[in-house]
Amino acid sequence: MVMKCEEIREVMPDLASGLMAMTPEIGGHLADCGACAGKMEEFRRTMALLDEWKAPEPSPYFDVRLQARLREEMAKPQAGWATWFRRPVLAAALTVLMGIGVGLFFTKGGGIYSPGNNVVADSEVQAEPGTAVSDLQALEKNHDLYSDFDLLDDLEVQRDVVANP
Amino acid sequence: MATASPRPANGLQPAFIGGENFTDAEVMLRVRAGDESAFDFLVQKYRRPLVNFMYRMARNTAVAEDLAQEVFLRVYRSRQTYEASAKFTTWLYRIATNLAVNHARDTRHERPEVTVSLDEPDEETGTTLDVADGTVTVEESLVRRERMLAIRSRVEALPERQKLAVIMHKYQEMDYKQIADVLKLSESATKSLLFRAYETLREQLREFV
Repeated sequence: MVMKCEEIREVMPDLASGLMAMTPEIGGHLADCGACAGKMEEFRRTMALLDEWKAPEPSPYFDVRLQARLREEMAKPQAGWATWFRRPVLAAALTVLMGIGVGLFFTKGGGIYSPGNNVVADSEVQAEPGTAVSDLQALEKNHDLYSDFDLLDDLEVQRDVVANP
Repeated sequence: MATASPRPANGLQPAFIGGENFTDAEVMLRVRAGDESAFDFLVQKYRRPLVNFMYRMARNTAVAEDLAQEVFLRVYRSRQTYEASAKFTTWLYRIATNLAVNHARDTRHERPEVTVSLDEPDEETGTTLDVADGTVTVEESLVRRERMLAIRSRVEALPERQKLAVIMHKYQEMDYKQIADVLKLSESATKSLLFRAYETLREQLREFV
């Protein structure tokens, strides 16, 4: 099977790193294709150059410091109820629940700012007679009178009764 | 069967004997069950690879060690919620990757310009130019350090995911599958990511090879 240049170039980093073994097909292509052979050689040199970047060994203090940090970790109190609030999903769920609760509180008229409470509060305060507030309070109380109108309609009219006998 | 030997006098955890016969996930389940010697086994196994990984991400030995310790602390803190469904190294390197990327973002404006000095030790590695013993000339040593700085700066200049992929592939010797799992990519996407990164490095390091 003849391999294309693109197929060879895709595996060049692995070939150059020694992570992939050279196959007869690849070897044959590289022998015939100067461009791919040149690129492969550049990849080999690049990988060899990258190998020069060495990382230092962990210092002798690494284990000591880690042990100290672990001891601090173990000395911390066990997770209590407060840690539940640090969980983002739970915190979000609680926020939504609280929001729903507050919303229901106000929409059902149970809140401290609900109109019903204000009316009750206002009606309990007796305004001075003759003031506008007093008149409004009187009108408010007249609803008893209006409700009695239906009762009056039901009564039979006494024909022999005159206004000014 | 792994067993814990009696606690040694130096205060370290007793050795987790036979740990090498277990998968990392099985050892981690022992940690979850409260076996601290099992945790020490994992620390000893992964301290060097993690410090190396962090060093190449953070360019500073002290910071690299601090970040590697933080990875182990996070593993320890998460022991109760550990599920053996994911490969342990995938989980470990995901924690390490998150920490390294966050650190790089937090210190983006604090990094000094990379310089070469003959007299002073490299502040990132703590090493000095090896001219004192006379085996190499000053020029050779300077060229060597310049090459080293070129490699570091070119790798560091890669886009974040390409840099992570190169460090895991080239220096941690992780395969495409492992890297793909850590970066949450498909294997083909990881292969393509790595190819682009190596192509860039080949172009940009041409003058040094």
